[in-house]
Amino acid sequence: MQTAPVPSDFETRTNATYDALMWALSRPGLIRDLPAPGVEGVIDALIDRECAVHAGTPDLCAYAAQTGAAIVPLAKADHVILPDAQTPAMLRDLRQGSDMHPEDGATLILIATLGTGQALRLTGPGVDGHIDVRVDGLTDGFWQMRRDVMRYPMGFEIFLIDGSRVMGLPRSTTVEVL
Amino acid sequence: MTLASLTRDWEPMAYGFLDASAKREIRRKTLKAISVPGCQMPYASREVPMARGWGTGGLQVSCTLINPTTRIKVIDQGADDSVNAASIRRFLARVSGAPTTTDTLEADLIQSRHRIPEERLREDQVLVLQVPNPEPLRPVQPNMSIARQMHADADYGRMWLQLYEQIVRAGRVMQGASYPSLVNGRFVMTPSPIPRWDVPKLHMAKHLTLLSAGREKRLHAVPPFTKVEPLVFDDVPYKVEEHAHLMCHRSGLKGFFMNEIPQADGTSIHEVSDSDLGVKAIHRTEGAPVEIGATWYENGEMGQ
Repeated sequence: MQTAPVPSDFETRTNATYDALMWALSRPGLIRDLPAPGVEGVIDALIDRECAVHAGTPDLCAYAAQTGAAIVPLAKADHVILPDAQTPAMLRDLRQGSDMHPEDGATLILIATLGTGQALRLTGPGVDGHIDVRVDGLTDGFWQMRRDVMRYPMGFEIFLIDGSRVMGLPRSTTVEVL
Repeated sequence: MTLASLTRDWEPMAYGFLDASAKREIRRKTLKAISVPGCQMPYASREVPMARGWGTGGLQVSCTLINPTTRIKVIDQGADDSVNAASIRRFLARVSGAPTTTDTLEADLIQSRHRIPEERLREDQVLVLQVPNPEPLRPVQPNMSIARQMHADADYGRMWLQLYEQIVRAGRVMQGASYPSLVNGRFVMTPSPIPRWDVPKLHMAKHLTLLSAGREKRLHAVPPFTKVEPLVFDDVPYKVEEHAHLMCHRSGLKGFFMNEIPQADGTSIHEVSDSDLGVKAIHRTEGAPVEIGATWYENGEMGQ
């Protein structure tokens, strides 16, 4: 009889974090729970020395660098972690991949407030009909700019993180500002 | 930064067989695959203790998703008890300590070779399909670099031509399995060699489908509530296999996908391909309290 393998705390946490992120992108607009608050858990689950990261604060930079990831300017990063979306114009600089390689598009991780603020209507894959959500803490014109700069299948993914809650917005989701 | 802060505690083996960096790579690529439904995302495809082409792609995705509370079901052509399914299930259970089941309703994670269970999947379930050839354009364009450009241009004219030629030559579409399907109106994907019977089950389904080809090192995904439309001409409707009238000789089930078993006298009998559904039907006939979930097909017709 073999003993059952026991996952380490790190494995348990990153596995649960990924589960939340995967379902957040699969069902845009539905809020999922991360095992721990903050973006550090997301960094643990996704980022290692194969990644190029741009982080908005020195603390996050240091945390991401510890995984072995390269710290690069925004336009070269495959993972962009920001405490807030400073200006909508920065979406223009994000990596979007190419028609041949849509997977080269960036993943944008933002701190936001979920459940209050601007009302949005989401449609697209993963949404049963449409879903209305409220997001606060992003700059004016953010959603307009997201719509204007992306041309499917090129684009970027957005994770909005509010404490230990996460909402995902894949590039395939259409966001209508209500 | 010290050496200790850069290393992790010693472990006898990586949980779920794959090491953490392999899992992170699959996680990143799976997230992109979900975001661009039907688009093939290249990934590293690490070694697993199984020959490539025997389900290594599906196995790597399962190993990434698994945790000690994930209840796993593995099927091979609908059967839980075939060699491929039984060995993958035992391997997954051994490396993760996760419980296993043969019941579609109890499963959290279903890894499958070439079938989708007949019972409807729920929105908390993940279906992992093993894919031998992820490139639907390969029969018309063997050069994969050119095929990638054709996907980028949404240049699927030759797919239509291939279907047209089949209809002209044979009077019907000859594509039996892995029927090319348009996902979210943009990418044509191969749904892995599931029979035509199973393709409508992917359209606007509630569950998440991940399709992973280990040998070809590519994975793609169909998120829940996503359009999956088989390529058909307006005047030649999509036809599933004519199995609606067949009856399973063991369980008496009718209106599901059947395996044909040739007999010595030249005739053939049929057996329901989803073995667990057959087992449950037999138990129910014997009076055991068995729950059979709602099925995609009712009386041989795809339900809404």
